Amino acid sequence: MKAGEIKKAGKLCENFEIDRRSVYKCVQCGTCRSVCPVFDVVGWESANTRGRMLIIKSLLEGREPSEDVLPSLATCTTCGICAAKCPAGANPPEVVEAARAQLVKCGITTEGQEKLRSAVTTSGNSFGETKSRLHWLPESERLGLPEKSDYVYFVGCFDSYRYPEFAKKTFEVLQRFGVTLLPDEQCCASPLLRTGFREDAGRIMEHNLEQIRKVGAHTIITGCAGCYTTLKNNYPEKLRVISLPEFLAEHLGDLKLKRLPLTVTYHDPCHLGRHNKVYDAPREVIKAICTLKEMKNIKENSRCCGGGGGVRIGYPDISLELAKKRIEDVPEGVDYLVTSCPLCVRNLRDAAGDVEVIDIVELVAMALE
Amino acid sequence: MDITAELREIVGVRFSVSPSELYCYSSDASQVKGMPEYVVRPESTEEVSRIVRLAYENEIPVTARGAGTGLAGGAVPVKGGIVLDMSGMNRILEIDIDNIQVVVEPGVIQDALNDVLKPYGFFFPPNPGSSAMCTIGGMIAYNASGMRCVKYGTTRNYVRDLEVVLADGTVIHTGSKMLKSAAGYDLTQLLIGSEGTLGIITKAGLKIAPLPKARKLVIAAFESAELAGKAVVKTFSNGVTPSACEILDRVSLQVLKRYDPKLVLPAEGDVILFEVDGTENSAHEAAEQIIEVCSPLALSIKLAESEKEMADIWAARKLVGAAVSRLDPTKTRIYVGEDVGVPMKQVPELLRRAQEISEEFNLPAMKYGHIGDGNLHLALFIDVLDEDEWDRLNKAADRIHRTAIELGGTVSSEHGVGAARGQYMEAQWGPAFEVMRTIKKALDPKGVLNPGKLGL
Repeated sequence: MKAGEIKKAGKLCENFEIDRRSVYKCVQCGTCRSVCPVFDVVGWESANTRGRMLIIKSLLEGREPSEDVLPSLATCTTCGICAAKCPAGANPPEVVEAARAQLVKCGITTEGQEKLRSAVTTSGNSFGETKSRLHWLPESERLGLPEKSDYVYFVGCFDSYRYPEFAKKTFEVLQRFGVTLLPDEQCCASPLLRTGFREDAGRIMEHNLEQIRKVGAHTIITGCAGCYTTLKNNYPEKLRVISLPEFLAEHLGDLKLKRLPLTVTYHDPCHLGRHNKVYDAPREVIKAICTLKEMKNIKENSRCCGGGGGVRIGYPDISLELAKKRIEDVPEGVDYLVTSCPLCVRNLRDAAGDVEVIDIVELVAMALE
Repeated sequence: MDITAELREIVGVRFSVSPSELYCYSSDASQVKGMPEYVVRPESTEEVSRIVRLAYENEIPVTARGAGTGLAGGAVPVKGGIVLDMSGMNRILEIDIDNIQVVVEPGVIQDALNDVLKPYGFFFPPNPGSSAMCTIGGMIAYNASGMRCVKYGTTRNYVRDLEVVLADGTVIHTGSKMLKSAAGYDLTQLLIGSEGTLGIITKAGLKIAPLPKARKLVIAAFESAELAGKAVVKTFSNGVTPSACEILDRVSLQVLKRYDPKLVLPAEGDVILFEVDGTENSAHEAAEQIIEVCSPLALSIKLAESEKEMADIWAARKLVGAAVSRLDPTKTRIYVGEDVGVPMKQVPELLRRAQEISEEFNLPAMKYGHIGDGNLHLALFIDVLDEDEWDRLNKAADRIHRTAIELGGTVSSEHGVGAARGQYMEAQWGPAFEVMRTIKKALDPKGVLNPGKLGL
């Protein structure tokens, strides 16, 4: 091939199929370049949304997929700020996830992806933990859980294994309203779906659906933004899913929260905010308790914590840099940075320095005491 | 000589030959494609100078690139070689309010510069639609402008000094902080709009302007685009110079409404957005005058009621070019024939001919642009999976370019020539184009700087 020429047609990876129109929507204007948080810290064109769309286009047009696409396609946190800003109406996170699924079919994955997959498929959680998912609940309470309920609390891997205190506090609140737990909850499948393991995800989603049917719940409540968007938007059956902040906001009158002399700020988790437009409920809850001082970029313009899309496990350095940038948005003079996603809590805590990062349920627990 | 080793020695890890990375640098926002052999991201003038010298000695093409938002393939390495990604050189080096100037590196983003200048009460006026992502270096290399150039002028009017790496790696300054100079050729002006074919910009001294105290927006709708054009001519000839004067034909209007249904825009017609700025009183007076002059021709005319209403309309207007698929998801806007310009008096004629061309080739089109300076953005949109539509698209674009030249205009008003419009340079410039060739040869005898561009 001569220098400067583009290879027009070549051998297609037999398995590489993506809806072409979703890719060709991109007019390469570069608007996403100004907002992609990964590009902001990496600097290469391949690390911004337009680069990712171009690479996917090249694969569709016959470029043989190889591992060299991974630093581009595997570093997207799926935060969706590009989709929110795209004048052409493209949805790059969806396209990237579809491309990852195709790469999985072609056998092209990162070590991080494989690690995640192996953990979820062998242990039912994203950490490969072997202990009971409900270890945080005293056995007496576990045995006394209602077998049937209209409402079920989906705990999620993070709250089950990394922040059991969040799980405990959340369940303490939810129990007042007759909410129960699934007898055998497993990972919501978000890590598998975001990183392209769609078949494995299908199996685990079916397992959770079976559990939900057993309990007979018509509504699922979750405190994790990742679980929330997955249960709500990716499950093969339409489920009624409520995020914890929405549930709390709805029941503010019953909770009888006391005012606390605090000023806090709030980080919108991408999968709760931008992906599902849950902006007001967490703010309502916070304002019922204390003073809210907003971050520099909020709601639709909120910056990603860096934890999503498999980036935290696959590219920890990039993930941490994103978290540091997000911490720069914290205003002066706040007691806590509050968020409503345990993955955001974890990533932001790694970068927080003097800023104390808490989950919204912790703030609510303080106001209940 | 091992070029890879040499480049690595100069920029370290800011070097790539990964096929995926190279692919991302093989295009910009235009349809021009060309694969580089190396991409480097220099961070200093010295690095740029060393890279260019290496390329010169080994006769390897070097193509500078900012944010890659260009619409003519200017940053696309059509002859291969090295792409210099300048976007990492993004420091604002000096804010010299006493001299009303700033010194910046070429990778500074236009909006980022204005965010920094705002607290000082100043701004850098040229404002392309891509201001959120385009770089100052790219703006200078292509003499970019935008909606406000009708009053404030183009990038060309704001550059005082450039630090430039020449083809052999020599570093020169083309100007100073002086307001004027009568000493010799104006190399600054020669370099502006030279599209990286004469040198690589590594620093720029820029004039800035005080922010106006007030802005007003008049929104007028007309029965036809031609009538809208006539209203514009009438406004100017009545002595009003708006700070922006934009046309949105009826298709563009529908696209904007789909993009943001909350926008306060007329229900129908071809729309002109007149912005005036100055003090509260002078802006108000100018807006009233526009309303008076245009009312007899307009279907409807109104003054935007709030700052937010204005800001929302301008934000949406900036993105209208790419938003066409909101109207029909199977269509994509392709940037060809998108930047012609004609003398203001010819604008109604250009609008008429553009409509004819769109109908003749059976291609839906949006017509929008900076009607106040004669710059029309004709947006043709096609189903990219349909070969026949591509063929008709290219024919229509060719026709629109030739029409602009025929009407005494230009094939590019602000996007540049790049590799997309080189074939029209001879027709537009006649013998003057030979002078451009001579200049290119004198400054870049080996032809290493952005070869294949400007029709050279």
